[in-house]
Amino acid sequence: MGPLLGLSLRQLTGRRRLLLIVLLALLPISLAALVSALLGEDETSNRDFTNTLLDGLLIAGILPLVTMVLATTAFGNELEDRTLSYLVLKPVPRSLIVLPKLLASIIVGGPMLIASGVVATLLGASSMGAIIVVVDSEFQAAAAVGLAVFAGVVTYTAIFTWAGLISTRALAFALIYVFLWEGLLTSFLGGIRYLSVRGYTLGILHGIDDQSFGSLGERVIEFPAAIVGAVVVSVTFFWLTVRRLRTMDVP
Amino acid sequence: MTSLRSAPNQIMSEPTITIQGASKWFGNVVAVNDVSLQVYPGITGLLGPNGAGKTTLLHMISGLAKPSEGEVTVLGESVRGNQQLYRRIGVMSEHEAVYGFYTGRQFVEFAGRSYGLKPLAPAVDRAIDNVGLTAVQDRLLGTYSRGMRQRMRLAATLVHDPEVLILDEPLNGTDPHQRIEFHDQIRLLASEGRTILISSHILEEVETLAEHILLMVSGKLAAAGDYRAIREKLDERPYKVRIEVSNPRLMAEALIRVEEVDSITVEASGALVILSQNIHALQQSVPRLAKEQGVRLLRVEPLDDSLESVFGYLVER
Repeated sequence: MGPLLGLSLRQLTGRRRLLLIVLLALLPISLAALVSALLGEDETSNRDFTNTLLDGLLIAGILPLVTMVLATTAFGNELEDRTLSYLVLKPVPRSLIVLPKLLASIIVGGPMLIASGVVATLLGASSMGAIIVVVDSEFQAAAAVGLAVFAGVVTYTAIFTWAGLISTRALAFALIYVFLWEGLLTSFLGGIRYLSVRGYTLGILHGIDDQSFGSLGERVIEFPAAIVGAVVVSVTFFWLTVRRLRTMDVP
Repeated sequence: MTSLRSAPNQIMSEPTITIQGASKWFGNVVAVNDVSLQVYPGITGLLGPNGAGKTTLLHMISGLAKPSEGEVTVLGESVRGNQQLYRRIGVMSEHEAVYGFYTGRQFVEFAGRSYGLKPLAPAVDRAIDNVGLTAVQDRLLGTYSRGMRQRMRLAATLVHDPEVLILDEPLNGTDPHQRIEFHDQIRLLASEGRTILISSHILEEVETLAEHILLMVSGKLAAAGDYRAIREKLDERPYKVRIEVSNPRLMAEALIRVEEVDSITVEASGALVILSQNIHALQQSVPRLAKEQGVRLLRVEPLDDSLESVFGYLVER
């Protein structure tokens, strides 16, 4: 797996792609810092804004966007460049071709997204503007954000890696899934949250710290359902990707 | 390179690659149509015009594509889904894309690591030395010429010392000097008992290299066997030449008396299409007769020198 992980990391860490990810990840932090500085002592408003920022911007937008940019190209670029044969013509099980591709996307996108969520949470929780005083409750909120975003990164990556292997239009598929299915349809049909990575991410966030993220309230699914959903979807799409790689004709 | 120890007579009794009734279609398009063949150790050339189905056939042999029908085995085993068999097979695809951010050496090392080679460095050194690129091995692949890139790709294909080599149009982009070097390299590998299947759409590219030829046209195996037998058939092929002259009927009358001319057709435009078995005699007769008859030769063109027509001729036979 080592050589393939190294290769995948190099493929995903192009300068422009990294810059885009860093800029996107900095957005919630900058906004949280700005609002925290402006609202100052008003801790409740500050926290509410941060929650909206996390849900509406990071979890609903930046998280799927960053994972989509990385994961759809994990195999998408190999197919487009016709280099996939270099990987499959080796004595390596298909699962050990898919796993490093997944890991590379998670390693490149995960830490920045988690850092983005954690720092934004800490800034929002602080009543002293940019000066962060971490107390237990804030630490718990930050940990909840970190774990939830991590679960979101893994689950989205599994889906989008599969999409990148089955279609050259994976990015379009991913955008439709995120903005139509998760964004629009979920507001009309609440049950879709159980079939939505955003639903799992918010469910885990709320499940770990319902005090800090109580404002998400009725819009989230139950914690166990969120955990099971994220695991089942990740494993299923990993398996589908391996199966696809096994049965497809490689160009 | 380690020599493979099979005795020649044993080698000949066992085909390395066996294809039985293999077909491959994509929707309504049949790319390979009921092909059966066997490939033995030594160099075999897979010839055919572009679009004949060579690459699809090689993809089925290397396990990249699943046959719609039929069976493909390499070294007695089914290749498709049999990852461990790739320890014994080296495949160089027709696509020339490489990971441009790797140096030549890193590219070969990546291949070596994927095969789990230990120790890695001697195998990489040997493979790169074999293709004569040691001096430029630390340059980025993106800066290589097409020919160098092909040779470094060959090094990556050879790094695990495979028994069977499948090379799809490996001479694309190489200059005549590189071709000679490449030929020497392939001959050396074959002399060590390997099976080398090499495809090309250019007849001359493999005629001095391959002992056996498989000829594909329109998805079918048109001919298989010794290169000389196929070349003889080609030499029997009648040549078709089209000429435009100032007085076609007069020229036709004169030409029909030439023994080497098999037939003459007068086109509506007045151009003459001459069919002859002996192209050299025809080359001499046409200007001589034109001079004798006082006819001006306006244009002379061979009609069927394209590879497609050469292959087409063999299929008709």
